[in-house]
Amino acid sequence: MREVAVIGVGQSTFGKFPQRSAVELGREAVIAALKDAGVKPKDIQVAYTSRLYDIGTMAQSILKEVGIACIEMINVENACAGGATAFRGVWKDIATGLYDIGIAIGVESMTTSPIARKLIPPAKDDLEGQLGLTMPGIFAILARRQMEQYGATVEDFAMISVKNHHHGCLNPFAQYRKEFTVEEILNSRMICDPITLLQCCPNTDGAAVAILCSSKIARKYTSKPIKVIGSALLSGDYRYHQEDITISPLGSKTAKMAYEMAGVGPEDIDLVELHDAFANEEMLRYEELGLCKPGEGVRLVRDRSTWVGGKIPVNPSGGLLALGHPLSASGVRNIAEIVWHLRGQAGERQTPNAKVGLAHMLGGAVAGLEAGACGIHILAR
Amino acid sequence: MMANRIPIREGVFMESPDGGTLLANKCKSCGQIFFPKAVLCLSCFNEDMEELKLSRMGKLYSYTIGYMPSMHFEPPYAIGYVDMPEGVKIFAQLKMTTDKPFKIGMDMEVVIEKLWQEDDSEIIGYKFKPV
Repeated sequence: MREVAVIGVGQSTFGKFPQRSAVELGREAVIAALKDAGVKPKDIQVAYTSRLYDIGTMAQSILKEVGIACIEMINVENACAGGATAFRGVWKDIATGLYDIGIAIGVESMTTSPIARKLIPPAKDDLEGQLGLTMPGIFAILARRQMEQYGATVEDFAMISVKNHHHGCLNPFAQYRKEFTVEEILNSRMICDPITLLQCCPNTDGAAVAILCSSKIARKYTSKPIKVIGSALLSGDYRYHQEDITISPLGSKTAKMAYEMAGVGPEDIDLVELHDAFANEEMLRYEELGLCKPGEGVRLVRDRSTWVGGKIPVNPSGGLLALGHPLSASGVRNIAEIVWHLRGQAGERQTPNAKVGLAHMLGGAVAGLEAGACGIHILAR
Repeated sequence: MMANRIPIREGVFMESPDGGTLLANKCKSCGQIFFPKAVLCLSCFNEDMEELKLSRMGKLYSYTIGYMPSMHFEPPYAIGYVDMPEGVKIFAQLKMTTDKPFKIGMDMEVVIEKLWQEDDSEIIGYKFKPV
């Protein structure tokens, strides 16, 4: 396996843009990434694109806008983990020596999708979806167990949203750039008890792109190549193996694989971007990723270690909660955020002297499984 | 005209005068129990499975009340997981009562009833209600 580096990243602004097509959003992010990488359209050899709602040869449709055609293109889907899947696809093709330079695109237009302004359901034929399960429903059920088992309170959940909205104020790309108090979070509209509106990620449109190449040629393009030192993608195990739904074997197994491949441990990670579609889950991810011991997620929320400026910033971008969550884009967008920090380009959100960062993404609800997919990437300068 | 009654899935429940029972299956080789039924044992891959009637009562593992519509249900509706004595966790709609608010660990009983209407058919399935 060859070493692979990220040489360019880009994202569109995130927000509600029903007048803008997914192709337009994708094009904006692709142009930004090509400029950032200093790569010409004809240099790109392979492309992976992910979109969930409304599929149909997205890679081709977006890349033709910028002069890229007639190369290998693959369109992938893995619910919210689609972007991470697309990134890993490019990584794999370069690491295995098939190609030297590739582009990963994640794009979603939520406001023009069939689920705009609705709760995200599982697939149409999914038994639990038919019986009333939705994404907020699963996480609300989880929240109640967190309160029962770990003494987590709704104020703890709200604090995570307060933190990520504060970070959103520092991010020019963010959909929400407004500070909120715990009270305002808890008094927002109830979605699935105890999860209120401001504890949920919004409907967001946006795209994010990463350009990767073999480390050997990275210096041709940039003085700051960011190495992909860990990549792992796993699918959920059977629910019947899961005694305790707050403990995700999927999350910890994927993390273990990524850490082992990278040759680092949680103590080496300087910042984390993770799946915070619902505020309460963020503290569970702290434990799965080994940022704290099992059961200590609540403590890490309360001691503010995961704020920008804290010991281990989590979601300095504003996360899915404040920056927004265009489903298939998020898995590429959060890798882009890590890259910016590692290059010292994260502006007011910058993690001082960041050397190693971890991007985690989770996606999908499937009846009988603990979750759909988890993708983790570890990057280093 | 009598409405059509269509089960949400075949072979998942049985209606009887006393209410109804959920139907699981069990691997004859390793004993793993599956609800809904598995086509083959997902643990040891043995294809010799036997039908198993689940207990009618379980304990509430967790729940939520939804205040925005799901695929087929208008709010408010309650959903959750019930731990069955056979070792399976079942996801289902929960019947809300005025006098028995949901509490983790409370006893829940299975009921078979209409889930939703589809044109002139009633889709029939299972829910749990506080005992």
